Amino acid sequence: MFNRRTIAVLKRELKNKLFSRTFILMTLLIPIFLFGILGFQTLIMTYSGNDKTNLVLITEDSNLTQKIKSDFNSLTFVKNGIIRFDYKTLSKAGFMGYLDESRKMLLEDKISGIIFIPGNALKNKKIEYYSKSPKNYQLFEKIRDPLNTTLLQVYFADKKLSPDEINFVKDKIDFNEYRISSDRKIEVEGYGNTIVSFLFSFLLYFSLIFTGTMVMRAVVEEKNNRIVEVLLSSVNSIELMTGKIIGTSITGVLQMAIWMLPLVVVISTTLFVLPPEFAVTLSIWQVLYFLLNFFIALVTFMGLFASVGAIFDNDQDAQSGIWPIMIIIMIPFFITMGLQSNPDNTIARIGSMFPFGSLIIMPARMALIDVPVWQLLFSFVINIATMLLLFPVAGKIYRTGILMTGKKPGWGEVIKWLQIKY
Amino acid sequence: MYSLEVKNLSKSFNNIKAVDNVSFSVPEGSVFGLIGRNGAGKTTTIRMMMNIYLPDSGEVLLRGVRIGQEFKDKAGYLPEERGLYKKMKIWDTLLYFAELKGKTGRETEKKAIQYLKKFELFDRRNAKVEDLSKGNQQKIQFITTVLHDPEFLILDEPFSGLDPVNTDLLKDIILDLKSSGKVIILSTHLMDFAERLCDHIALIDHGKIILHGSLNDIKNNYAKNNVILSCATDINFLKDSVLVDSIIDKGNEKSIKLKNPDDSDKLLQLLVENGIKVKKFIAGEISLHEIFIEVTSNGSSSNKEVANV
Repeated sequence: MFNRRTIAVLKRELKNKLFSRTFILMTLLIPIFLFGILGFQTLIMTYSGNDKTNLVLITEDSNLTQKIKSDFNSLTFVKNGIIRFDYKTLSKAGFMGYLDESRKMLLEDKISGIIFIPGNALKNKKIEYYSKSPKNYQLFEKIRDPLNTTLLQVYFADKKLSPDEINFVKDKIDFNEYRISSDRKIEVEGYGNTIVSFLFSFLLYFSLIFTGTMVMRAVVEEKNNRIVEVLLSSVNSIELMTGKIIGTSITGVLQMAIWMLPLVVVISTTLFVLPPEFAVTLSIWQVLYFLLNFFIALVTFMGLFASVGAIFDNDQDAQSGIWPIMIIIMIPFFITMGLQSNPDNTIARIGSMFPFGSLIIMPARMALIDVPVWQLLFSFVINIATMLLLFPVAGKIYRTGILMTGKKPGWGEVIKWLQIKY
Repeated sequence: MYSLEVKNLSKSFNNIKAVDNVSFSVPEGSVFGLIGRNGAGKTTTIRMMMNIYLPDSGEVLLRGVRIGQEFKDKAGYLPEERGLYKKMKIWDTLLYFAELKGKTGRETEKKAIQYLKKFELFDRRNAKVEDLSKGNQQKIQFITTVLHDPEFLILDEPFSGLDPVNTDLLKDIILDLKSSGKVIILSTHLMDFAERLCDHIALIDHGKIILHGSLNDIKNNYAKNNVILSCATDINFLKDSVLVDSIIDKGNEKSIKLKNPDDSDKLLQLLVENGIKVKKFIAGEISLHEIFIEVTSNGSSSNKEVANV
């Protein structure tokens, strides 16, 4: 399989890809794009709307109104005027009348909403919110804690508790996350590894589909231009496919290695110190495993993409014939998305040792938890086995398809190709 | 001595026999023509010879040994449907295809320069293939076929799409290569070219070989009864003559088939007696074109092999 002809094809592939504009652009643009996405997400999350929010806060007890007013005035979002409060003390009946009067103001957005704290709130903490768009979770998120604090203080005011005791009641439980790994270290766990895990699965997903589509296109082009016939008069189809795929895979891994460089610098040197909540616990070996895993994934999937390219003789048909491969890339990718809420869920654990899943889920899992060595090895063996089993199958489809022209073959026909003996 | 022997090759596509039990032999140092109509099975046969298609049955022998990679390395193949990487530079294209055949280094580069100069493309060696005209792309394709100095040249419809000047240039190169001892196999549906270039032919029709042997022998065999006549006046009266089997009107010339090959003298006499002004009278001559029409229109599929190839 590896001879001078395969090497010649491989060399052309490398030369062609590495110095192409696409390669250089992708290598530069993907990190920018990724950070762009992260930044954009943060922006969306923190965006609170630039409209000023005018709220009316009404209680049934003037003491409570005063207390809330003085407490709220020290809050940042009140101080810098993002939310403006009008405070009133009205009875339940008075409030109903006020609500009727303010209906027009509410509908015209002169008042964003009215918060009514009934007397009973000091027993059951039920508070009413009236607005044109009442499901304003962002607002609730903002005022829930300060309001709770004030209510607690009022509630406990005559019960002779010290502020410390009140604080204890008020405070929520704070989980400090520590990662236990086999090397006996206990480390504070931040978001760093979650980001790395996301990075691993996104880059795998993206690169596999992107490189795959390129390989598929190249095969369709060779088939279409009839170059393949000239090539096949010198090399056989397996040599051609092997050279092409190994060449592409080396290019892909090289690109991935470039993308990994900043990560490697972060984890192995002290040039950049990340804030503790973004600290990354990862060893060089894991990055190497990731790259090796990526290489196997490329070889495995590129074989499939090449055979789909060989089945069809134009890009459109090939695009529509690609769905079986997309499914086996996308399902594992979606499973990795679920890892962020529970890195050790059963589906992910099984998926990471299942053909195809092992290629995409394992790297993401490995970044989040200390995967037992046997699982890593098992997954690796599955990867190699999948690759070795699939490559000849892809080769068979490739060698038959590449010379077929004219009618678009059905899947049944493609299965028949597998039975052709060479 | 045969360099290549094709033995009982068959290949079907979707239960249609594209090539049906085809056998022929290519002598050393010959120009061999595989001729037939479009869709007769020429390209399929050639692809099986190049090991691109695997035959359903039969085999191809290179000096007695079944063909394999060794043959691919020794052969240069110009497919009917040309194909090059559009975005690749001409120089890189030439060296890449040579490298696939195992040829690299100074020697190959020198040859590439020679060929590029011969085809007047040396100045454009750094251009991309897609920037060349179609005719020039064909020339590049031809250079990729011969650059590795192959022992065998397999050319599928080599003249299609070439202008007269380049056709002559290619013809000269083919004859040059022949004189340097290469074996050249070409397929064509153009009988004129086959007649002028080939010493041996195999005529393929509907996937079957219907005629096979040395061109001279075949022509002699078919020409025995034939007379080519060119004259100014009408010769319709000959139709009823006992001497004549059939007359094919070819415009300026008529091709007359006699019932008995020894009757050509009598025919000439008859023409003179009838006051016909004969411009040209060639007995025992026939064009490959006529043979082709005759054997393919017979509808006979019997293997008319000529002895003493």
